[in-house]
Amino acid sequence: MVDPVSANRVGYRLMFLGLAAAVFFLRILPLSTEPVAWPGPDILLCLALAWVLRRPEFVPAASIVAVFLLEDLLLMRPPGLWALLALLATEFLRDRAVVLRDIPFLVEWLMVSALMAGMLLANRLMLEIAMVPQAGLGLSLAQYLSTVAAYPLVVLVSHSVFGLRKVAPGEVDELGHRI
Amino acid sequence: MARDRNDEIDFSAPVRRVLIVLTALLLFAVFLLWRIDSPRVERFRTALVDTVVPSFDWALVPVTTIVDMVEGFQSYARIYEQNQQLRRELQQMKAWKEAAVQLEQQNAKLLAQNKLRLDPKLTSVSGVVLADSGSPFRQSVLLNVGRRDGVVEGWATTDGLGLVGRIAGVGETTSRVILLTDSSSRIPVTVQPSGQRGMLVGDNSAAPPLEFIEAPDEVRPGDRVVSSGDGGVFPAGLLVGQVAQGPDRRLRVILSADYTRLDYLRVLRSRPAERIEESDALVGTVHDGPQPPAPASGAETAEAPGDG
Repeated sequence: MVDPVSANRVGYRLMFLGLAAAVFFLRILPLSTEPVAWPGPDILLCLALAWVLRRPEFVPAASIVAVFLLEDLLLMRPPGLWALLALLATEFLRDRAVVLRDIPFLVEWLMVSALMAGMLLANRLMLEIAMVPQAGLGLSLAQYLSTVAAYPLVVLVSHSVFGLRKVAPGEVDELGHRI
Repeated sequence: MARDRNDEIDFSAPVRRVLIVLTALLLFAVFLLWRIDSPRVERFRTALVDTVVPSFDWALVPVTTIVDMVEGFQSYARIYEQNQQLRRELQQMKAWKEAAVQLEQQNAKLLAQNKLRLDPKLTSVSGVVLADSGSPFRQSVLLNVGRRDGVVEGWATTDGLGLVGRIAGVGETTSRVILLTDSSSRIPVTVQPSGQRGMLVGDNSAAPPLEFIEAPDEVRPGDRVVSSGDGGVFPAGLLVGQVAQGPDRRLRVILSADYTRLDYLRVLRSRPAERIEESDALVGTVHDGPQPPAPASGAETAEAPGDG
């Protein structure tokens, strides 16, 4: 009874959750407990933005909220704030997914970088307003730069390993509608 | 066909939009709640971590061990050099061991003569490091001992040699250790041999700076830094590290605990500091600063006549 197309969609939704769990698992491995001078990228954010731009239906808002809120709680961040920003950023992209489908990758990369910078600024501003002690600006900027640098890699891996492709012009969905 | 689809979208899109806005407001409310009533939310967070992370337990410890083994295997390439180096170090250590044994005997004799009672409650419980904070902005690790094992918030944690951090957040089966390098860590310390007191202030760097020292001129690079026990949170005399001076002339502490490999940690049981009630009646005047614990002040007064 389960038709292959919707099974495919459920499969990709589960895959996103699985990838988020794997990323989280790798991050909390206590391999080195020394403070790092150059923090690694926020892979989860790259994944969410890249997937929303390619196939919004694979990353519903519920997945975004669940994954980011859990990450907020488990990584000792102020709960709710980063999840809120992630939700707003993905909704922003989701609303424009049809328009953004045809832009070249370089433009997409620039736009995602700008969006991430906006999230970083909004996060710091909110924490400043709420008078929450924050990490140094240098460390945040370093993480921002490595996240921006990691975005093309995440896109490449999503494309080649997980088979996540943009909707081709003229492609139809399971019921024969144009997407 | 296409017309039906458009109708469907027109019907569902506003509902979805309302749901998204509601979710966003909810998330913001969670953030505000955390800001207003932090302890309650933090307790929820501890309970959540306590449920989620141990479920990764079966994989966390083996994967960490395997990666460590691979790294260890790579170092076989330099095994001859390492062997030579270890031999040289062993030779030096033998000399130190001899000195230590002699000092221990001398110490035991002196203690016996003084009839000094060491704190009998200085026992410990050991735990395995399950996970680290996962974020470059937070320096903490999660241990697999918790309330079940009698761990209490605020206890000191060592790796057997040097101080590692303090317990902050205790779940049923896990507890979080805020490392000395975390930017929220503040530990009162004493620099030996000058006896200067100061604060070790974590700042997300590998060597935390030493601050609030009265006479920084008396502190030299290479001096030992131990916990002072001021404030009654930590037991006094735990080794923290060695003083070093950075290129910016700031005094920093090179930690003795091996922060590159925190696998087993020892949580020191310390009983809550006894409070002296009615200090006016006993002493007459109240001192401004925090009172140093009895053994430390006793040692100082005992040394003072010797100096003069």
